This record gives sequence, C-alpha cells and structure tokens, in this order.
Amino acid sequence: MNTTNLRDLYQQVILEHYKKPKHRGKTNPVDRYQKGHNPSCGDTIELTLQLDPNGDRVTDIKFEGEGCAIALASVDLMAGALVGKTIDEALDAIGTFQQMMKGEGEFPKEQRKLNVMKGVAQFPVRIKCANLGWHTLKAALQMTGEAKLADFVSNEAEL
Amino acid sequence: MTRESPILRLIQNLTGTADEMTFIQTKSGIHKPQTLADTVRPDFPILHREVHGKPLVYLDNAATSQKPHAVIHALEHYYSHYNSNVHRGVHTLSSEATDAYEGAREKIAKFVNAASSQEIIYARNATEAINLVAYSWGLSNLQRGDEVILTVMEHHSNLIPWQLVAQKTGARLQFVQLTPEEEFDFGHYQSLVNEKTKLVSVSHVSNTLGCINPIKDIVGLAHQYGAKVLVDACQSAPHLPLDVQDLDCDWLVASGHKMCAPTGIGFLYGKLNLLRSMPPFLGGGEMIADVFLENSTYADLPHKFEAGTPAIAEAIALGAAVDYLTNIGMDKIHAYEAELTTYLFEKLIQIPQVKIYGPKPPKDRAALASFTSGDVHPHDLSTMLDQSGIAIRAGHHCTQPLHRFIKAQSTARASLYFYNTKEEIDTFIASLQESIEFFDSIFS
Ligand SMILES: Cc1ncc(COP(=O)(O)O)c(C=O)c1O
Repeated sequence: MNTTNLRDLYQQVILEHYKKPKHRGKTNPVDRYQKGHNPSCGDTIELTLQLDPNGDRVTDIKFEGEGCAIALASVDLMAGALVGKTIDEALDAIGTFQQMMKGEGEFPKEQRKLNVMKGVAQFPVRIKCANLGWHTLKAALQMTGEAKLADFVSNEAEL
Repeated sequence: MTRESPILRLIQNLTGTADEMTFIQTKSGIHKPQTLADTVRPDFPILHREVHGKPLVYLDNAATSQKPHAVIHALEHYYSHYNSNVHRGVHTLSSEATDAYEGAREKIAKFVNAASSQEIIYARNATEAINLVAYSWGLSNLQRGDEVILTVMEHHSNLIPWQLVAQKTGARLQFVQLTPEEEFDFGHYQSLVNEKTKLVSVSHVSNTLGCINPIKDIVGLAHQYGAKVLVDACQSAPHLPLDVQDLDCDWLVASGHKMCAPTGIGFLYGKLNLLRSMPPFLGGGEMIADVFLENSTYADLPHKFEAGTPAIAEAIALGAAVDYLTNIGMDKIHAYEAELTTYLFEKLIQIPQVKIYGPKPPKDRAALASFTSGDVHPHDLSTMLDQSGIAIRAGHHCTQPLHRFIKAQSTARASLYFYNTKEEIDTFIASLQESIEFFDSIFS
C-alpha cells in the first residue's frame, strides 16, 4: 500500500471518530429531522437537530445510519464542532467545509480540528462521502416548518 | 525454451498433456505451465499500465471488461477504412459497412446458437434490450391480474422496467427469494408460478452473489403455464457457453462491454415468431418498409427494432470480440475461471474478518466474490486497494434490494475474467489483509 497518502486520508482522529463516534443517536426533542444518502453507494445517514426555543441556534446534533469511515467521521466531527452555533454560523461552516473539499481554504484556529478532513480533497471520488453529513445538515437547517419525515436529500446533485 | 529441463519433464509426466502445452520461464528460472491468462495478457494493452506506481490489478470485470487489440483494431479499422452509414447507400463504403455490421450479427447468432441472425437485435446495452421487451411486449401483453416473476437478486435494470410496466398495466410483480446458501430458491419459484404468470424475467448469473441460476428448469416450468421467460445474460455471456435453443428461453439480453466489446452495444435475442408479434419499440429511419404521412409499415426483423443510425463501429467490434472469445473457447474460459474462483475463495475464507455472500466452490459459480471485511467499509477498502493499483467495486452494485435482503448496506466485490492470474489474486489478498490490519491497528 502507498501508506503516506493513506495516512493523510485516514488520520488517527478520523478512524477514532469512525470507530467511537460521540454523536450517534437522536436528539431529544427532535426539532429537525433529515435523511441524506449517496445513491451511487447506498450510504445513508439520518440527522436530528435540537434548536433553542427561538429556533436560531443549534443546541444538539445527532446522527444515525451507515457509511464509510470518511462519511461517518466527517459527520461526527461536524456535530462536535457545530453544537452551540447559530444557524448562520453553521451555514457558514458548511460553506467553508465545502470549499475545503475543493482544496480551497480551511477552518480558522477555533475549529481547526475539522481540518483533519482536508486530505480528502486529494481523493476526488471520496469527497461526496465526506460531504454527506454536511450536505444533509444544510438541508435540515434550511428546512421550513415542522420536523417531518422528509424525503432523502441526495448528495450528488451538488458536486 | 529448454525442453529437456527436469521440472518440465516432471510436469509433463504429471499432466500427460505436454504435447499441447506451452511453458514459460518465470523470473526464478523455473518453468511452469502457461495459463490461459499468460497467453492472452499480451492482447490487452490496458493490463500493462500502472496505477499509483503499481501494476494494475483489474478486478472489476463484472462492471465492465477490458478490450483486446482485436477489438480496438476493429474500431480503428472501421473509421479509417470504411466508415459510412448502413443500409442506406449503394456506394462501396456503405456496402462494406453493411456487410460488416450484418456479419457481426451472424457471429453473435452463432455465439448464442440462435436459429437465425434475424433473432438478434442490436441494442445499446442489456438495459435498453430489457426496456425494449418491457415496452413493446410488456405494454401490449400484460394487464391487471397478470403476474410477472422476478427475483430479489435482479440488477436494477431488470427491475425498474418491470416496475414501470406494472404501474402502467396493473400487472403484479412477484419475487423469488434465496435459499440459505443464497442461491435461486427453486421451491419458492414453484410456489409462485401459476396460470396468472405471464412472464419470468431472471438473471442467468447474479452480478453480486455469483450464483448460476437453473435457467433450463426455470424455463421448463414457466412454459408449462404458458409464461414467457427473459434471461439477463449480462454476467453469463462473457463467461459461459450459451445456447438459447437448448435453454429454450424466449428472450435473452447481454451487454457487449462486459464481454470484451466496446460500450454502447449489446443485443437482444428473441424467438423469431415472438419478435414478429411484437410492435416496434422506437420509431424512425431504418425500421420502416413504407412510410406515408399518417401511417407506415415496418421493416422485417431484425431491423423493425433498430430505429435510427445504429452504433455501427461498436456492433462490428462486438463481432470482433465474439470472434476473440470463440477462438479461445468459452469452455476453456469457464474452466480457467473456475480454477481462479476456487483459488480466490480458498484465500478469502482464511481471513477471519471477511464474510462472503453467495454459494461457495466447489459449487459451480461465477468468478467473483462479494464480501464485507469487518470494520473496513467497502469504500475505504476500495480506496486503500486502489493505492496498490487494485481495482475492485464497492457499493451496492445496482442490486439495492438484494443488499437489503442479505442485510448488507454495501459490499466489496472482486470480479475476475480470463486474463486475471493467481498472482493478482495473491496481490489482492495481501492488500486486503494489510487494509484490515491498518484499520484494526487504531484500537488494538
Ligand atoms: C446482471 C446484470 N444485469 C444488467 C446489467 C446492466 O448492464 P448495462 O448497464 O450494460 O445495461 C448488469 C451490469 O451492470 C448486470 O450485471
């Protein structure tokens, strides 16, 4: 194996988040619910959000579902970094993440933990794995009205 | 080649077929019998490239096969020497192109042992061929109350067309399930077939489980009830001898790109009278006899189903692919692949984290293995193997319902062809083990 490249991609932190995720489960209460999937590979996650009473701050993020190490580590890291953020801040972070996947820019110091995902940019076919959680979160944040059993958002149109 | 070597003599004594055998000298200077792969690998230019600095080990043949020089040359030769439209001109180029295009059809007819080349319809791929039958025959023959039997192992392309037709006609879809060995459950099939059954559409070989389905028995039972049978031969045509008259199936479809031919060409075989009774699928040039403004009469078979300018070069190249495979011999291909399959399974089974789906050798099965490998998700595995130049498929292989049925979100699949070698299997197994260890090392 060409391990230098692979160690860039599968850093210890990533494998740890994959194997021992901190944000698996369902929020209580469920203020937003969104399913996301990658149709070409079958990976699926279900994201639940808890919002503050005004509905402008994310107070908890949880996920369930199955996916590869890149997809699951990415959503777990995302949840860890974005709990407590306002909806606008979370949307900004999604933008930064998606730029980073294109090899442009990275997160500032306070959120530098997320920069471990940077290596994915060198593996174009895996970007949609890393983006699955973020894309799903975006749909959840932009959802209007009540939490409902919304349709899947597909992660392929965007990339 | 030194015909006097002691090892050679030993092998000759052991095999007794030394006169026909050729031998190659390996790096260590030891002679070993030349395998089918050794003979054919020089024919496939792509097999000699590198990926990430390692020799390519191409184990994604169930998705698409590589192409030999003969096929690449057929394409180039057509465009360099006689490119022109078929059935439309009286000039030399057009008649050469038409001859080659129709000649390829005859080769395909022989390849599947069709009674006549009129029974071979060119299509873009198997998917289009299935849609042709679904829209032409299905829409005009199925109605509410009728039943169509499929299996849970079908590729999406043998599923969705029937879902669409069922929605339009009110016919009901039924699904044959799997035995505990994850093969076609004939007992369950018997319980589903009845007078309402109008069609059975089933894959010959599953692209995920690798099981070889008992088509002759399936057809025999269906015909007792007057039902038609369509065989999806995508994963059998490249690997097994096919005889549509012996199978007695009503239709059979395959994609050229999985059997050494280019993409964009495949075929539908159908029994002559059945094809005659079917209305056209697509309308346009090429498929007509007499055209008036309000109505038209249609060309005879096979052209009734070939509207518009076809994939001429691709069809001719499919003919070249069929020649190539026939020259090797489909029996020989199947026998060599069976040997590789046994070897692959022997090695895979030794890795404790690996779970393989589908029947295991010595059961006759296809040269592929779909599996999961513990904590290593198929995508991660595929990325890791790719770094070693090894191409496998990861995902649901267009059989999502089957994956649900076997309770796997996704699987990794290594699929072989006659140009793969045991050495390549060794490389694959070593990288697989390394990947599993790499993932396990984090928490051990
Ligand atoms: C069993 C089976 N059926 C149908 C298909 C569809 O083939 P194509 O996409 O070439 O139409 C495939 C290949 O992907 C297959 O393996």
